Amino acid sequence: MKIDLKKVGAWFDDRLALTPIFKYMTKKEVPQHSHSIWYYTGSSILLFLMIQIVTGIMLALYYKPTLEGATASIGRIMTELPLGWLVRSIHSWSATFMIAFVMVHLLAIWFTKSYRKPREATWMTGMMLLVVSMVFGFTGYLLPWDDLSLSATKVGTNIPAAIPVVGKWVTQFLRGGDDVTGDTLTRFFLFHVCILPLVIFAILVVHILLVQKEGMSVPLKDEIAKKKVPALPFWPNFILREVIIWMVLLGTLLTLALVFAPSLGLPADLMAPAPEGVKPEWYFLFLFQTLKIFPANMGPVTGEFVAVVLILLAVVAIFFLPFLDNKPDKKKGKIFTWLGVLGVIYAIVFSIWSLL
Amino acid sequence: MRIDNAYFTRRKFLNSLLGGWLGTLAVTFISPIVKFVWPPYKEPDEVKLAFADYSGMKTGEVKNFPWGNKPGLLRRAEDGSFIAWVGVCTHLDCNVSWMPDKKKFFCACHEGWYDENGTNVAGPPPKPLRRLETAVEGEDFFVRKPVPGAKA
Repeated sequence: MKIDLKKVGAWFDDRLALTPIFKYMTKKEVPQHSHSIWYYTGSSILLFLMIQIVTGIMLALYYKPTLEGATASIGRIMTELPLGWLVRSIHSWSATFMIAFVMVHLLAIWFTKSYRKPREATWMTGMMLLVVSMVFGFTGYLLPWDDLSLSATKVGTNIPAAIPVVGKWVTQFLRGGDDVTGDTLTRFFLFHVCILPLVIFAILVVHILLVQKEGMSVPLKDEIAKKKVPALPFWPNFILREVIIWMVLLGTLLTLALVFAPSLGLPADLMAPAPEGVKPEWYFLFLFQTLKIFPANMGPVTGEFVAVVLILLAVVAIFFLPFLDNKPDKKKGKIFTWLGVLGVIYAIVFSIWSLL
Repeated sequence: MRIDNAYFTRRKFLNSLLGGWLGTLAVTFISPIVKFVWPPYKEPDEVKLAFADYSGMKTGEVKNFPWGNKPGLLRRAEDGSFIAWVGVCTHLDCNVSWMPDKKKFFCACHEGWYDENGTNVAGPPPKPLRRLETAVEGEDFFVRKPVPGAKA
């Protein structure tokens, strides 16, 4: 029997109403100007997210989220399963790349001020995605359950406890009790593979729809001058360029994953003293160093409390940045650009300082 | 519709009644979920150890013991008595270790130091190590949480 593909296509189109989507894709245009390169950071994040999903599912086939089995199961993945060490290495490296690109994406939008009206909500959902990505990293870091990851988790989950009243409650929720135990590991696994994926998809859908709704932002000076910016068709021209960038990134990722595979320490012992050189993942280093420099007590409160409140205020301020920076073309806008530069310098200096 | 001299309409009254009822129903469903998610696992009020394991400790010597899911620290004082602490840093909860050559407790996470009496002397720890009480009863060695209000 001969199947008429056109008829099959029409049948689906009739039921799913796909034509408007295809029409939109062929009509969509991407502006071309000296800052166009930053448009590609978004799709690069999607590439790494897809790699995380595939390698994450592969790892979860053999990983055991229990006190007794966690470290050994990763050992097994790395030594017994065909190319298991590479799957874990790619998962670990792709996480690093994803967070790095999220940060570049955020900074590019900060410095081009693309969050200005009407794209405030896009920025805010983006900030949520950054926080969720970092929680992904934080929960994933515990899963190997070696002594470094245990100490980092004890510190990380104890930080909310510095906030009066609700803090203790948050810490107990994260740990599944007063202390970090095997229950914490099971919980973190659940967050990492079930709850966070649902959350990230929900926010991501809104984020991407908002980007489609408003279209790509053009540089501020062109917008003010009402200059017509040349544009590139999304399909196939822009997609083709994206694919080239994806290939380059994929090659870099695979090379790094092949050469620098992550190590696996001895299983964590809840009773053992904290090892020397406890470090969180690189993207938490500047926060780690910030916590370290505050004195034990500052008047009536602990230094830790002051540090946590300052960090939370900074996050909230960045979340509402489009509303604070509401005159992007005026002198006030320049101040926010420089605050962004200061923030980057602060993060870099504190990260390096924490490694010394 | 409002009855004469009534504070609110009949619709408002019925809506509040229904809303309150639905709210109560929601709480009945949610409260057991919350109880399940926040488990009742607390640290122990006391642990029972075998005294024979610790009676041979020399003056100034420090040994670990399991205090629930975290380590406890035990030091033999000059007068032969025992001093016990919860072995986690008061800064951010890392397990501390005894440095015999310096006669100090050390937390490697953020370089916190405590002297041999558990007092925070350097680094970020805001408070001394948490003290526990000890008691020898026959062959058993008890380590307990101090009674609140009583002097440790």
